[in-house]
Amino acid sequence: MLWVDKYRPKTLDNVLVHQDVAQNLKKLVTEQDCPHLLFYGPSGSGKKTLIMAVIRQMFGPSAEKVKVENKTWKVEAGSRTIDIELTTLSSTNHVELNPSDAGFQDRYIVQEIIKEMAKNRPIDTKGKKGYKVLVLNEVDKLSREAQHSLRRTMEKYSAYCRLILCCNSSSKVTEAIRSRCLNVRINAPTEEQIVNVLEFIGKKEGLKIPSGFTARIAEKSNRSLRRAILSFETCRVQQYPFTSNQSIPPMDWEEYISEIASDIMKEQSPKRLYQVRLKLYELLVNCIPPEIVLKRLLYELLKKLDIELKHEVCHWAAYYEHRMRLGQKAIFHIEGTVSGEKNRALVKLRQKAWL
Amino acid sequence: MGKRNTLVVLSSDEEGDRSLGSNRRCTKSKLSLTVPRINPRRSKKARVSGPTSSVSKEFCNWDEIRLFCEDFDEKFIGCKLSPGFGRSIKKDLWVDRYKPRSLEELAVNKKKVEEVKLWFEERLKTSEDEFRSCVLVITGQAGVGKSATIHVIASHLGATLCEWNTPTPIIWQEHLYNSSTGIHYRSKLDEFEHFVERISKYGMIPSSLDKDVKSSVILLIDDLPVTNNRAALGRLQNSLYLLVCSTQIPTAILFTNYGEADSADHTTRYLEELQLSLESAGACKVAFNPITHNSIKKTLSKICRQEQHNVSAEQIDLIAKASGGDIRHAITSLQYFCFKPSLMHSLSASNPAPTILKEKPDKVNIADSGFSLHFGRDETLSLFHALGKFLHNKRETENAMELDRDEYFVRKGLSRLPLKMDAPEKVLCQAHGQARPIADFLHENVQDFMSEEAISDAWVVASYLGDADLLLATFRGSFARYNEVENVLQSAAASVAVRGVLFGNSHPLPPGWHAIRRPKLWQIEQSSLRNKREIVKRRYEFYNGSSSSDVTVIATEYTPLLKWLGYRSPGGLETREGNEKVGESIDGMSLDDQESLVSEDEIEDW
Repeated sequence: MLWVDKYRPKTLDNVLVHQDVAQNLKKLVTEQDCPHLLFYGPSGSGKKTLIMAVIRQMFGPSAEKVKVENKTWKVEAGSRTIDIELTTLSSTNHVELNPSDAGFQDRYIVQEIIKEMAKNRPIDTKGKKGYKVLVLNEVDKLSREAQHSLRRTMEKYSAYCRLILCCNSSSKVTEAIRSRCLNVRINAPTEEQIVNVLEFIGKKEGLKIPSGFTARIAEKSNRSLRRAILSFETCRVQQYPFTSNQSIPPMDWEEYISEIASDIMKEQSPKRLYQVRLKLYELLVNCIPPEIVLKRLLYELLKKLDIELKHEVCHWAAYYEHRMRLGQKAIFHIEGTVSGEKNRALVKLRQKAWL
Repeated sequence: MGKRNTLVVLSSDEEGDRSLGSNRRCTKSKLSLTVPRINPRRSKKARVSGPTSSVSKEFCNWDEIRLFCEDFDEKFIGCKLSPGFGRSIKKDLWVDRYKPRSLEELAVNKKKVEEVKLWFEERLKTSEDEFRSCVLVITGQAGVGKSATIHVIASHLGATLCEWNTPTPIIWQEHLYNSSTGIHYRSKLDEFEHFVERISKYGMIPSSLDKDVKSSVILLIDDLPVTNNRAALGRLQNSLYLLVCSTQIPTAILFTNYGEADSADHTTRYLEELQLSLESAGACKVAFNPITHNSIKKTLSKICRQEQHNVSAEQIDLIAKASGGDIRHAITSLQYFCFKPSLMHSLSASNPAPTILKEKPDKVNIADSGFSLHFGRDETLSLFHALGKFLHNKRETENAMELDRDEYFVRKGLSRLPLKMDAPEKVLCQAHGQARPIADFLHENVQDFMSEEAISDAWVVASYLGDADLLLATFRGSFARYNEVENVLQSAAASVAVRGVLFGNSHPLPPGWHAIRRPKLWQIEQSSLRNKREIVKRRYEFYNGSSSSDVTVIATEYTPLLKWLGYRSPGGLETREGNEKVGESIDGMSLDDQESLVSEDEIEDW
């Protein structure tokens, strides 16, 4: 088992970071009246962990007995029936699903499937009708229509089920949904917190850690706890008696992107653009999301560019990032950025030569 | 007619089988009403059921006559005699009225006509002495006068022309009825095979209509049965081969060549194959070219004179040009043109416009595009041809610049030389290009057509393609229901993509040979989808299996890590390897595809 999973806190009391949030949640849940919840925050900050702990708080250890089901749903949509395949993860009291997996049919998922689930709600020991908890992941990737129908579903079935929504950025969730939920922002842990967690794991594993080593990992982790723990484990495998200046292996795709960035800086021509495109394709094939590619690329480029150019490059990167979300094929827009960057780099070089 | 017949048939069936009394009268009236129109086959059925039904007796006599007729017909099935070319004035279509009657009237190239005529003369004279192939294959576009030439030559030589006429198609209701009576359906191909067999066994039986005329016979096969699959093609090929080998009568087989743009169709390829096999069996081949501009003009003006319509030479010129060598089309256009006086006015009113533009080298194009809306054949382009036009980006050289500058002022950096082609939208339309593939193809290939230094051009192009993508993406969501909106968006996107490429690529490479690649993006999308599915399957591996993780997280954090660790868990490793294998095979595939594409779609310098 990976350390990330092994040392994941199971209850709200055991949480190491975001203790205040955890305590508030605990109070909220024990007082029986739990509203819909919307967890948002950057990746690796512990949203999922908190959600799981909240569910456990609600239903006790039975919430951990889950089964993965792959079901095909038949949805009546007007004159035709649509088959939607969706994997759900469910215990007796909660169901977790990723509606955005259904692609453009996500609307039907949130409309029909949630309705169906809400219908057969469990009865608790006292004969009182309880409620089910629905965990929806990646709400920000839902289409507008789906979010709209989610809103209606929320209103209609709020007596029978509670929704826990989880996403990275609440800005892509419609106002209507946000106002119907209790918004819980989960910040990225600070580097100190990450260091604490790493030390905690180290102690549990019985490792000797040279001073400053965890701080370096925390710094590299980009304030993502998951990432920090993962690379901590990698280091452990790589070389055990840790040395304080031990190298921390970077992600392969990040290396790849920095390679691309140096390609861009080296030569600016349509030919080179084509080579860069092939490399970008390679990244996309491996399902690295284009937004992340773009962000990372910008980051790498900023390291190499002159100070005067930085502003402009950031501007265009933002411009194309926005259009990429509106558009369909990310590569068109990434390429827009890439070629733009190349162009400006070239202009800069020319200016230098001129002076 | 079919509908009506079924109605009758049903009633007569009922009559025969069940009821004798009550509805007799009404059916009687119905039947008597429709008797003159009744189909012989049907009446045969009626005759069979005659004894039980007293009604049908009434028209038994009629039946007999019809049956006689039917037998008579059957003798000549598939072989209609065309009795001369009596030109009746009543015919309204000019195409029919001004059918060429003599060799001089033919608009076809004289040499070609002479060639065909000589061939027939030889065959007719010496058909007994020596064995020679008696089949002539004539190919050419639609409306170049293939059949007309044969007709005229036949009448010139005084030969009777026997024509294979495709039997009238059987409609479904008819078929249903027929199958219930035991008459089996025979496809056109069956009929043709049967016909060829008969011809080769018995030769042409001189028509019983004019026994006294001991003239020679020419067989004309104009309309070959359509074949849609290999087996049918094989049968047709065999029967044609039989025909070529055995026939003693000079036979002409006409093939209509379709435009090359449509050649994706199977049928055309089959036709080519047929031609080849015919030639290898020993048939002569004569290819007819599209009729020349001048001879179309001559014919048209002659018709005008005879019809006493006043059509200016310029207008005739336009019509001839628009017809693209198709004389039938040209004549029909002319008739239409003369038929509508208002159109003529509009034409003459808009006539000054082209004359003003006379300095422009592409004056004809402008005029053409204005009128081809009314008549004229729309030319089609293949997708690759169109792409080549866009990518090569050929423009006029300096001299034409002055004209544009008068109209409105464009900043120096933004103005471009005029295009050496029609408006991009028109080209798109001709190529039946859809916005998405066009944009993808342009995106994939445009960089190859840019000069080495032009990175800023590349940026402009990329941003325009991004715009096009934006336009294409919007309709995916909310507008999907409105076709109109979608269409407008589609064409706008295509236009933006194409014009963006044309505008942006201001320093194109000198024309030369380039291969157009198929967009790799399509493969990338597919394989990334596949990988994504793999990842989705694995999303429950983490979090102790008690929750699911984001695809993004798996792709960016877990997978690289597992790869790095060479993780112990066999599951993780295997999937990873699987992924890589998938990737490799995809790469291999794409390479192959690329090569085959290069060899297939070579874009030369147009």
